[in-house]
Amino acid sequence: MENYIINIGRQLGSGGHTIGEKLSGQLNIAYYDKELLQIASQESGLGKEFFERADEKTNIHLFGDFVGWFSSSMNQGYFNNYLRNESLFQIQSDVIRQLADRQSCIFVGRCADYILRDHPRCLNIFITARFEDRLQRIIKKEKISSEKAKEVIERTDKQRSGYYNYYSNKVWGMSTSYHLCINSSLLGIDETVAYIRSFAEKSLKLT
Amino acid sequence: MKREKSSIPLGLGTENIGKLLAQYAIPAIIAMTAASLYNITDSIFIGHGVGAMALSGLAITFPLMNLAAAFGSLVGMGGAASLSLRLGQKDYDSANNILGNVLMLNLIIGVSFSIIALLFLDPILYFFGASRQTLPYAHDFMTIILLGNVITHMYMGMNALLRSSGHPQKSMFATIFTVLINLALNPLFIFGFGWGIRGSATATVISQFVVLMWQISLFNNKNNFIRFKKGIYRLKSNIVKDAFAIGMSPFLMNAASCIIVVLINRGLIRYGGDLAVGAYGIVNRVAFLFIMIVMGLNQGMQPIAGYNYGAKLQSRVNDVLKKSIIIATLIMIVGFTIVELFPRAIASIFTKDNELTEQAVIGLRYIFMFYPLVGFQMVVSTFFQSIGMAKKAIFISLTRQILFLIPLLIILPEYLSVTGVWISMPIADFISVIVASCLLYVQYRQFKKNHFKSEIE
Repeated sequence: MENYIINIGRQLGSGGHTIGEKLSGQLNIAYYDKELLQIASQESGLGKEFFERADEKTNIHLFGDFVGWFSSSMNQGYFNNYLRNESLFQIQSDVIRQLADRQSCIFVGRCADYILRDHPRCLNIFITARFEDRLQRIIKKEKISSEKAKEVIERTDKQRSGYYNYYSNKVWGMSTSYHLCINSSLLGIDETVAYIRSFAEKSLKLT
Repeated sequence: MKREKSSIPLGLGTENIGKLLAQYAIPAIIAMTAASLYNITDSIFIGHGVGAMALSGLAITFPLMNLAAAFGSLVGMGGAASLSLRLGQKDYDSANNILGNVLMLNLIIGVSFSIIALLFLDPILYFFGASRQTLPYAHDFMTIILLGNVITHMYMGMNALLRSSGHPQKSMFATIFTVLINLALNPLFIFGFGWGIRGSATATVISQFVVLMWQISLFNNKNNFIRFKKGIYRLKSNIVKDAFAIGMSPFLMNAASCIIVVLINRGLIRYGGDLAVGAYGIVNRVAFLFIMIVMGLNQGMQPIAGYNYGAKLQSRVNDVLKKSIIIATLIMIVGFTIVELFPRAIASIFTKDNELTEQAVIGLRYIFMFYPLVGFQMVVSTFFQSIGMAKKAIFISLTRQILFLIPLLIILPEYLSVTGVWISMPIADFISVIVASCLLYVQYRQFKKNHFKSEIE
């Protein structure tokens, strides 16, 4: 049987990371979240911090990349600049494709659902949670005040949707962009994992 | 478009720096030189075939031409960036949509710009510094250019798309073809048919039209992954939005340079008369040639510096920066030497008129005064851009072209008359060289500190 892929999009604090990790343990397949940055750095020889700086962000807003262009309207060097967000995205997406060729795996974020859109066995999931639950999770994880956590959540949501919409041409968090959208607050993490697992087993014909 | 290309070419981190620089910079230098020869040939034929006043009229149209180019690059550049992203993902449907959308947008913007500019052509030209003597030339030239503006916009847009769709050589040839056709048609129209300055404008439009046809035939090829077909022309909001967002920066940069040229022209006309503007037309063409060559070098340096900086190969970063600065300085020294030694010979390439020649000689001498240092400034600015420190890059670039130049152009002519206009440019050059030196010095202290830190770790 061919490799299969599960791509997880998630809101910050929705438990997407944990759900992906548990799911990969139960299905016994590889799991990639931030690990992708390290691999992309090794593959390209470029420092990891460049990938971290560009991770799930984009420059594309008015004046955002003002400078990318300053010198001339014919600046073709721009396309050859390997530290641009677009170039780093390209390197990272090559890594995602290579990993997906080699084995079954779970990818969290990084537009993997778009990058692997031609893969024959893909399941794309989006995970949300109640705002209050997300807030509590971030407060606990980052050890910050409620005010600060709220700010971080709002900013990250905005960045991730900007990133996803720009690179994938789809809409972040919109049901038509995925196969399954689920709110982890209703069943809790473990039950949500079980639910997704049974959904995956049926839709990907794992058993 | 057939060949699979890996995201990072091999060798950027290992190959000899001089060899890499030659490999990346030479094609870019050829393309840039060709583009500036285009403008030079126009000026030469107009200067000799039509006269000194026509050269002044031509110089009056520069800002309007800049503005037209700014609108042309608005979508073309943004579309090109989006296109290269989609092609990297082998997302050919989206890529095709971008192609169609860019074509449509260029059509809309090109036609709108022409209509508005044609309606207010004379007031615009007067505002840009036209006089009774120069207006007819500027008017005739611009009318034809504006009627062909859609062609120019589509040609520029297609060229940007060609380049980003993996055909940089074809895009370079397209530029060279327009130069050659323009070179052949200019004498025919001006001397053969006696069309005057209109002949030159017609040659420009026709050369771009011919090359546009060739570009379209390339995008019509069924073997290409991206090509014209039904259904790609309907505007899609996300494509349009991205194209404008990315294209806004080159647009503003071009628009800003339009304002500068207006200031220069108005200053020259006020204190030096029509011929001073014509002299600037000549000086500008000559100066631009050397600036463009260095820009080509910078394009070649960018991927090398960027990659090696990213890979933390500091000694290679130093090497490429050093070599680029040396080459850029040599290029500028060649320009400086030729211009300062033989300014009359240079000016006489463009005109036989004695007074215009004299004024151009003065202008050439002033403008090239600090050019041997300007190469350094340009390389440093691009260097900051390539290592992802865009704010510093734009700041250095702005100091030379805008921040110091605008106040100088407003203040100095009050006291020094026409000399004040000329001398503003080398002064702005010099200040920006100092700014660039300081920023580079600070950056290198930072590099050393980081290096020291990583050694301890």
